[in-house]
Amino acid sequence: MNASTPELKELVTEATRALARLDVARLEELAHSCQALLRIPPPKTNPERESLALEARAAQGDMAVFARVLEATRANLKVMERLREIRAGKAGYSELSRGCGSFIESDAESGNGNH
Amino acid sequence: MGTISTAFGLISGALDADQAALNVVANNVANANTTGYTEETPDWQENAPITVDGMTMGQGVTETGATSQRDLVLNERLDQQQQLASASGTRLAALNQMQALFTPDSGSSSSTAGDIGSDITNFFDSFSSLESDPTDNALRESVLTAASTLSGDISSAAASLNSQSAAIDQDASGIAGQVNSLTSALAQVNQQIESTSPNDDAGTLEDQRQQDLSQLSQLIGINQISTSNNGLEITTTSGQLLVSGSQSYQLTTGTVNGVTDFFLGGSDITPGLTTGGGQLGGYLTARDQDIPNALGSLDQLAYSISTSVNAANNSGTDLDGIEGTGTNSAGVTGTGATPLYIFNQPAQVAGSAAAMAVTMTDPNQIAAAGLGDGTGDDSNAITMASLASGAIVSGQTPTDYYSNFVTTLGSTVSEVQTENTAQNASVTQLQTQNNAISSVNLNDEAAAMSTLESSYQAASQVFNILNTVMTSALNLGVQTAVS
Repeated sequence: MNASTPELKELVTEATRALARLDVARLEELAHSCQALLRIPPPKTNPERESLALEARAAQGDMAVFARVLEATRANLKVMERLREIRAGKAGYSELSRGCGSFIESDAESGNGNH
Repeated sequence: MGTISTAFGLISGALDADQAALNVVANNVANANTTGYTEETPDWQENAPITVDGMTMGQGVTETGATSQRDLVLNERLDQQQQLASASGTRLAALNQMQALFTPDSGSSSSTAGDIGSDITNFFDSFSSLESDPTDNALRESVLTAASTLSGDISSAAASLNSQSAAIDQDASGIAGQVNSLTSALAQVNQQIESTSPNDDAGTLEDQRQQDLSQLSQLIGINQISTSNNGLEITTTSGQLLVSGSQSYQLTTGTVNGVTDFFLGGSDITPGLTTGGGQLGGYLTARDQDIPNALGSLDQLAYSISTSVNAANNSGTDLDGIEGTGTNSAGVTGTGATPLYIFNQPAQVAGSAAAMAVTMTDPNQIAAAGLGDGTGDDSNAITMASLASGAIVSGQTPTDYYSNFVTTLGSTVSEVQTENTAQNASVTQLQTQNNAISSVNLNDEAAAMSTLESSYQAASQVFNILNTVMTSALNLGVQTAVS
């Protein structure tokens, strides 16, 4: 991280905001930016290391917020997955009900006039 | 003929069903901008088949009403998150107000309640200055001025906290009326739903009920329990019944130990409401926990400074040669008739901050000299100055104690801010999902779900990388510090 790259703190804050509003495009951009971060060689001089450590310390609080939002998102995702399962069951019934296009059922053995 | 009539009935029934479906679609479009309106989809029901001459003929389908695409699970999750966000938001506002009392504004050295940290330093420094010339009247005046500034700022902060507590108490009390209005409305809509749609979706009545529940969730923490006949039972999060079918139970308020408590059926349910969530939970947490904690710390600070300084001054000799009534560290007791106190002497810790004031009016009464020493002596001034570095407030120096208090308050604000941000984000996400399912728009559930999944995956990736980068950066910092 240097003057030409965004501050860690800004990255974390932006990621939190994007996750809150479920901005997939922005989150994917940020993911690519973060991957680039991993390719930056570690600082060699002590002042650079100290500067980076300072940035990291400054971003710790925002990282905690990000972690909490991520945790809440995971919980919401679980709720939605459960709902999908429930609704998938309902959809099966609904499709059965709506498939009653033909008025006359020729299969007398089914005992059910409408499919 | 019967067969033809039956066949005709089948066809016309199907046409009627199509028309009813069109009506539902038209209803959705007409209500697209109505707050809380939930999309309705036509509900088709098979008619019993008829067998004629060995051939089974379906009776077609009949449109039986509309099933709203709301989902109680999602709504309950949303209500629950709103309760938490509302509680932390209300508490955060109160904490920010408290913090402003003790944290100087940007570009300023003084906060709303002055700068108590500097006041403490200046007060004890004034005794150090007095050491140089114990008989100097200006230096003696400076001690009383510094004492007055310190006590004024502490008592002013305590008064502000007490005012804030009273205002919060009033706001909390007002919530009871809003809760009662909503629970009454919920009982009425419950009754309507139970009588008109005991086994089916209740359409707009269900929307009304959901809106009322959402509003109630912002006020207090609630649990929802579905009952027979499409009814709903609502309790507080600690289990007290608020609504059961068509019956609502009213919250009442009463004053207990000077603050408003909340009652249901004669029982005081304030503790349960405090932890339950909603605005009321936030108000009560601030009123019964955050403000008392801050006041308690200020009381301890005021009590310890007042009693320690008074004890030291009362164990010396003033400029007029009059001794105090106290006993010094050598075991010598002063011969004075009345105590030589700088601050009014607190009888107990509680209330010390609000009551802190300078009682001494004559600067000559500052006992800079030791017992039995001449009036030009400075030994007792040295003793009083050294209190600044003594562990006189709960085992800490006054400055450290105050600094820790402000730091702790800042940490609490930060924690609640974090909670609130996360909870609001969660509410925003759930509302997006809920809109995709329940509202009248073109989004579909699969797309909404996909967005949520993709967002979570991308955010997890961002989090993991940032976490790695930060851990590495912090380790580098530690290595640098060690080397």
